[in-house]
Amino acid sequence: MVNVLDIKVLRDLWSMRLQVLSIALLVAAGVAVFVMSLSNYLALVGAMEAHYRNERFADVFASITRAPLVIVDRLREIDGVGIVEPRVAKAVRVIREDTNLPISGRVISLPASGQPLLNRLHLVQGRWPDPLHPEEIIVNAAYAEARAMRTGDTIDVVLNGRLQDFRVVGSALSPEFVFATRAAVPLPDDRNFVVLWASEDAVASAFDMQGAFNDVLMTLAPNASVPHVLEEVDLLLAPYGGTGAYDRSDQPSHRFLKDELAEQETLSMVMPSVFFGIAAFLLNVVIGRMVEAQRGQIASLKALGFRNLTIALHYFKLVSAIALLGTAIGLALGRWFAVGVVGAYRAFFRFPLLEAQLEPWLLVVAMLVSVAAANLAAATAVYRIAMLAPAEAMRPGTPPALRTFGWLQTIGSKQIPLQYVMAARTILGRPLRTLLTTVGIALAIPLVLFGLYWFDAIDHMIDVSFGRIERGDAFITFTEPVSADALYELQAIPGVLKAELQRVVPIRLRAGHRTYRTSVTGLESGSELKIPRDSALQPIAVLSDGIMLSRTIARQLDLDLGDSVTIEVLEGNRTVRDAAVRKISDDILGASVTMERTALNRLMREGDVGNVATLRIDPRQSELLWSSIRLMPKVEGSSVKALWLALFNETIGGMVLVGALILAGFGMLIAIGVVYNSARIALQERAWELASLRIVGLTRREVSAVIFGELAVELIVAVPAGLLIGWYLIELIASARASESFQIPAVIDPSSYAIAALLVIGAAVSSFIAIRRRIDTLDLVAVLKARD
Amino acid sequence: MQVREREATNPATQPQAPVFVARGLTKVYGSGDAQVVALKDVNLDIRQGEFIVLLGPSGSGKSTLLNILGGLDAPTSGTATWRDHELTGAGDDELTTYRREHVGFVFQFYNLIPSLTVEENVRLVAQIASNPMRPAEALELVGLTHRAGHFPSQLSGGEQQRVAVARAIVKRPDILLCDEPTGALDVDTGRLVLAAIAKVNAELSTTTAVITHNSAIAGMADRVLRLSGGRIVKEEPNPKRIRAEDVTW
Repeated sequence: MVNVLDIKVLRDLWSMRLQVLSIALLVAAGVAVFVMSLSNYLALVGAMEAHYRNERFADVFASITRAPLVIVDRLREIDGVGIVEPRVAKAVRVIREDTNLPISGRVISLPASGQPLLNRLHLVQGRWPDPLHPEEIIVNAAYAEARAMRTGDTIDVVLNGRLQDFRVVGSALSPEFVFATRAAVPLPDDRNFVVLWASEDAVASAFDMQGAFNDVLMTLAPNASVPHVLEEVDLLLAPYGGTGAYDRSDQPSHRFLKDELAEQETLSMVMPSVFFGIAAFLLNVVIGRMVEAQRGQIASLKALGFRNLTIALHYFKLVSAIALLGTAIGLALGRWFAVGVVGAYRAFFRFPLLEAQLEPWLLVVAMLVSVAAANLAAATAVYRIAMLAPAEAMRPGTPPALRTFGWLQTIGSKQIPLQYVMAARTILGRPLRTLLTTVGIALAIPLVLFGLYWFDAIDHMIDVSFGRIERGDAFITFTEPVSADALYELQAIPGVLKAELQRVVPIRLRAGHRTYRTSVTGLESGSELKIPRDSALQPIAVLSDGIMLSRTIARQLDLDLGDSVTIEVLEGNRTVRDAAVRKISDDILGASVTMERTALNRLMREGDVGNVATLRIDPRQSELLWSSIRLMPKVEGSSVKALWLALFNETIGGMVLVGALILAGFGMLIAIGVVYNSARIALQERAWELASLRIVGLTRREVSAVIFGELAVELIVAVPAGLLIGWYLIELIASARASESFQIPAVIDPSSYAIAALLVIGAAVSSFIAIRRRIDTLDLVAVLKARD
Repeated sequence: MQVREREATNPATQPQAPVFVARGLTKVYGSGDAQVVALKDVNLDIRQGEFIVLLGPSGSGKSTLLNILGGLDAPTSGTATWRDHELTGAGDDELTTYRREHVGFVFQFYNLIPSLTVEENVRLVAQIASNPMRPAEALELVGLTHRAGHFPSQLSGGEQQRVAVARAIVKRPDILLCDEPTGALDVDTGRLVLAAIAKVNAELSTTTAVITHNSAIAGMADRVLRLSGGRIVKEEPNPKRIRAEDVTW
């Protein structure tokens, strides 16, 4: 036979269905955000690992000018080195008829066997080049997509100064170009950077590299000592123009990916976990009050002889059912959103297989946390009531605080309508409950703010990085350093409003045992197109001596102002020189090393030269301008800020904003859940009292003032407190999560505060309206019959 | 507490127009098998200042009748008017105004507001009435001046019920409706409450209707209406009213 108490569980669930639903939605929001975000983040990490594993991403990388292939055997002999794969990799230019923009690229040789041993290709489309047809090539999928290239299309490539036609036979993903970034361009620009894989013969003959290689990939044996291997490789390759071996942590694509994942970790793991934690806390508050409102029933059950444990179990069933319902809704919603968000990820993270998947352990955690939070609250409430004598607990309503709060009278209680005195006494007389409800409402605000914050952070990041620091409209990279005369030539082109020459040199910074591989940018003194800034966004002048480091690099190398750092130049004369850290800049995007250009030229023992030009251009003349620039000698590639900013908005922007909108939406759902339940339970606890007021002749409006007065005060305290908590949590998360490439600024626009506050107030108002309808329909006669 | 007898001035004996007129009042709860007929075709006139006792067992329809008279419930059919107020068919706002301006209620379970003190419970009604007496005056009338600053839960049942009486009369109601006012009280305490009600009826000439299943109280009334099965089965004028202090049960 069915236990009667179990029937009561079902009936209670049904009779409180709106309340049950709102609590379940609160749980659902927390679970959905948690499960979706973590699953997606784990899917990203999993996809990266699978890509690296399946395509055998190398552990160590080295470039040289030219070395005979016999050296490869000696590399293999180094203790700790596993597979060694030599190849030829060279910078190239691509010419397209549909654009005047110079497109730079990199051509990489494929062994005669097709698939290389390391950094293998994952064919997305087409087939492998036929070794008998040296004109056949594979392009990277990102470029193929950005430029809508298909197999069979031809591509004009300038190899070693000679224009050559190639035919695209396929497009591929490679673990070393998940993000195809270049020095001097802060973000990947898939439209203007291409990776080409061609047969060994074609590349070697074009660059006169038969029997030689200029790039080598290696794997490490298990337990190999990375510094030892790098040192040995450097020693061996130095005579061949080695620019220094490096491991994955310095590989540009991996570094960018790692920082991007760190960013995602904040958005997808830290915030959702905090979010879910807050939701669980709110569930606890709401369930606690809900069970407490049943004190009469608990007391009656006790009076009838039910044991505390039996009563507690009864409530466990009730609240577990609510928590499980919420979890189930949350999982369904989470799964649904996960598919959408992963779709947005795919445009940005180029992995062969990136699928949304629900991690089973996440489901278990989500379920356990919600059920535990609900049951803990129920247990606490049941225990509190069970500790009272049944007779005491059976008294109607919740006993009010029996304190008059004298000042309530003296500040003119004669004038204050008594319904407000009632509200004030409830607030003051039960400070803990008031605090919990207030904190509950307050915590809904950070949840909404978490979402809105990302919009602001990205806006700020773009504004600072591309509005205030990188002020040029376009970059041109040169195949080799050009003299300052080239600058005059550029400035003479119609449409070029201003041009500045930069010298960008790959370097390794060394401070004690710490090293950091990057490039140094030599800026003209008084540069206007790139202005390094400090954390207060004040410009930092580039000094004619010493070096300026980004704060993240300074931190990694444990350097401070005035410290000395060794600069090892990784090209040309391989100069090694010590320099003093004279300034520290605060970059939001990327981590820069800056010197004055002439100082860098001196360091390089070269004349007044540069290899990157930054331009301010007149957009109306851009077509003419680019057609002139394309004809200039030594131009390697270009990048137009407006174009990759648009790309950025489509990819990173789209991806982050989808997540942000979901966070904000669920935050609001939780806000409604908390406010509605607070009001609903307040009404439940006082229905008898309110009906009594109605009977003696108070109007609905006057009676509503009791509940609304209470909630209004809680809301007035909660909203500013919530804004403050939101600000603090975001500050905390942002500062704890600053990564190397991105430092998400803890910037929240006033409008976001306003929106978060308005959304929560809106949630409160709609809850008020729902509750007001219940007050209007209070059954006065029923109240006289039953006291509870 | 002194309660004067008013045999000579008993309004029930005067040829006065009724203030309450109910015709064909019927109240049905539920429908189908679950249908309960609480009132069946009840006709009733109550005159100004009259003290009426409604007697009957549980389920006889007393409370339903009282609730309709007090504007707390609406009949399924029939009409009820108080002076020129049509109670049947009136909207919630009209009924609220009616209760607010004319009716004082006393219930078996007092229905005091636990978060307000004794004085505040009384003042609560005074603040919405158009011509109230001072709350202190009402409390004095029920002999609770010394308990003004206490909360209801700090009072005995009888004291709480007297607060309810004070709260009901502070507005100088035209009609005082009491539903089992002594139902939860012992004899001595019950008498105190009855005395307070009788005093109000006498001194303020408030039309008073008291529901009870305690026939001993009937002796205090000008007229006793016996209900059974939703009908008024007997109407007994009581020319010789007794004092509350003399009621025994």
